[in-house]
Amino acid sequence: MGRPTSSSSSIDSPNHFAFSSTASSQRDLTTDLRLGLSISIAPPFVRYLFFPIAYGTDAFTVHNQKIYIFREQWPPMKAAVAEEEHECNSSTFYVKVYMEGIPIGRKLDLLAHESYYDLIRTLEHMFHTNIIWAEAEMDRDHYEKYHVLTYEDKEGDWMMVGDVPWEMFLSAVRRLKISKC
Amino acid sequence: MPKRLASSLSDEVLEHVFSFIQSEKDRNVVSAVCKSWYEIERWCRRKIFVGNCYAVSPEMVIRRFPQVRSIELKGKPHFTDFNLVPDGWGGYVLPWITEMAGAYPWLDEIRLKRMVVTDESLELIAKSFKDFKVLVLASCEGFSTDGLAAIAASCKNLRELDLRESEVDDSSVHWLSHFPETYTSMVSLNISCLGSGEVSFSALERLVSRCPNLRSLKLNRAVPLDKTANILRLAPQLVEFSACTYSAELRSDVFSNLAGAFSNCKELRSLSGFWDVVPDYLPAIYSVCSRLTSLNLSYATILSPDLIKLVSHCPSLQRLLVLDYIEDSGLEALASNCKDLQELRVFPSDPFDAEPNASLTEQGLVAVSLGCPKLQSVLYFCRRMSNAALVTIAQNRPNLNRFRLCIIEPNTADYLTGEPFDVGFGAIVEHCKALIRLSLSGLLTDCVFEYIGKYAKKLEMLSVAFAGDSDLGLHHVLSGCESLRKLEIRDCPFGDKALLTNAAKLETMQSLWMSSCSVSFEACKLLSQKMPRLNVEVIDERGPPDSRPENCTVDKLYIYRSVAGPRFDMPPFVWTKDEDLALRLSP
Repeated sequence: MGRPTSSSSSIDSPNHFAFSSTASSQRDLTTDLRLGLSISIAPPFVRYLFFPIAYGTDAFTVHNQKIYIFREQWPPMKAAVAEEEHECNSSTFYVKVYMEGIPIGRKLDLLAHESYYDLIRTLEHMFHTNIIWAEAEMDRDHYEKYHVLTYEDKEGDWMMVGDVPWEMFLSAVRRLKISKC
Repeated sequence: MPKRLASSLSDEVLEHVFSFIQSEKDRNVVSAVCKSWYEIERWCRRKIFVGNCYAVSPEMVIRRFPQVRSIELKGKPHFTDFNLVPDGWGGYVLPWITEMAGAYPWLDEIRLKRMVVTDESLELIAKSFKDFKVLVLASCEGFSTDGLAAIAASCKNLRELDLRESEVDDSSVHWLSHFPETYTSMVSLNISCLGSGEVSFSALERLVSRCPNLRSLKLNRAVPLDKTANILRLAPQLVEFSACTYSAELRSDVFSNLAGAFSNCKELRSLSGFWDVVPDYLPAIYSVCSRLTSLNLSYATILSPDLIKLVSHCPSLQRLLVLDYIEDSGLEALASNCKDLQELRVFPSDPFDAEPNASLTEQGLVAVSLGCPKLQSVLYFCRRMSNAALVTIAQNRPNLNRFRLCIIEPNTADYLTGEPFDVGFGAIVEHCKALIRLSLSGLLTDCVFEYIGKYAKKLEMLSVAFAGDSDLGLHHVLSGCESLRKLEIRDCPFGDKALLTNAAKLETMQSLWMSSCSVSFEACKLLSQKMPRLNVEVIDERGPPDSRPENCTVDKLYIYRSVAGPRFDMPPFVWTKDEDLALRLSP
């Protein structure tokens, strides 16, 4: 404002580095700077190995080094899209549900359901099929329209869904599988 | 000769001619023709846009343009959306409102983005502007329902109240009830950001029923399904609507009520909301689908088969926002059905899982680029990409003007060749000559920046993360991109050299953001000293930058041009070259 503007379009650092051919269309006038400061060139890019690990961080390996990125900061999405706010839920429990023949598993929040009936109804919506579980009745003539629902428990065994009380199921379940009859 | 021509037209005639010139750019050109045109133009400019509220002071704006009716201000940098800017950085609107309250009694429109708005500011607006009509608070914070109550009570000609994506504190005041019974002017109301306690249904219904000009209504998430149908029946003239918390089970009475309500809405063109929707309710909107031009399903956990069915009912769609549940198959259906599509945004349903949650790849985007000839704007999150796909997209759609690609895992390479995406993005900038906005991702070397500097001559905004090898990358962009206004960079090995070599370029741009890069505090101080019309702000919560070893790099850097000089409201974690502590905000 009050001070005259610099007549140079660039500022020389003591270790002058001339960028070749792709120089800007402006004239590069060198400015003689005697500031008494030694400006060291920034070291080769060093990743944050010492970045504090806070709640919610994820580690990515970049340039063969682990860096820590806060979940709130990557990927670049506004919070409203990245994470749904469940005003009534205080917790969630997501498990993957695999359907036979489809390599991609879907995530399902078990705590958003109150009972097996609730869960089965959601699964039938999600996968467009009829689900067999411990309390289902099946039309034996049309077995191809049905899928069987099993779950993998803490010990790695696959069990029929519905044999134990709901709360017990929640504490044991790790994954769900929907297979053809 | 020209002198005679200029003086032969009276001021009134010129002013009348200028009244047809609405665009800011054109007005700026007009004002530069000669002194008399400058004078005439400044007295009749009614609309001001300030892209960075710190680039100019309210006093300067008022001095030059004494009769403004409409102002738009933007505050915090864009990367605030991704939590990269600490709270308290700045962007306070109160100084602007205070000045304008005295100078612009006829101000009727205020639009703000990423600013801190207090209840005091809102009360001042309500009190000062007698004919106030439009208040848009986009991604703002700092106010409560008390402030909204003041607006509702005083602004009897209010037409538009839009709080999109703002954070509003609940002061438990039933602010909607503060609109007097005589108030009937609402045209556009967006309260989608409010929590469940902040809206009274009965007040809302009464408001909607007495505002016959209501065209756009965006409700918050907590409005239950039966209320949604009621409100729609009260406002069948709506053009834009957002609502719906769908209940888990399909009840045929609720369904038919909702379907009936929608079928009354012959003007409806835009739908959004759809939180917690269950697919069985979707057919309730089929009656309006053929006329829909905009659909925002980015909160809806609907899977591909149901999305395909929905999309096939919407041949007029111009804008679609959706989660990756749409999958490649859904995007292929979109490409065959929606030939008018101009804008597509695909968001990740589960960004933090290394495993994909849905079968969405680069193929979906390629299909849309091929099938939708009017496609101009893309925002796409995915987990894999290839250079071949990017080249195809660029060749299919040279009319793209906004291309933002986010490959979720940083430094992901081309899944077919293992190569960086230099060639792919190079094709985008080479073919898409009208490109004004670009976001890069994936594995990228300095080469991609050489292409960008060479070809992206219309580019105004560039976002870069985890890319490049050296300062040469940044230098290519700063020296080549003639139209560049905003550059935002995180986690790239760019440092002092490129910045200092291109110092003058920074004054031609609105702003530069660099975080987790390799810029030293010394370079920042130097830049600041040599370029007085740049504000160079180092944002570092770790403490004074010069208390650390000399080669330690700054955490975050925000550089912007300003004719207002350094600002006086900086928090303690913003460091500039000025050692004068009197300039600091006292804690």
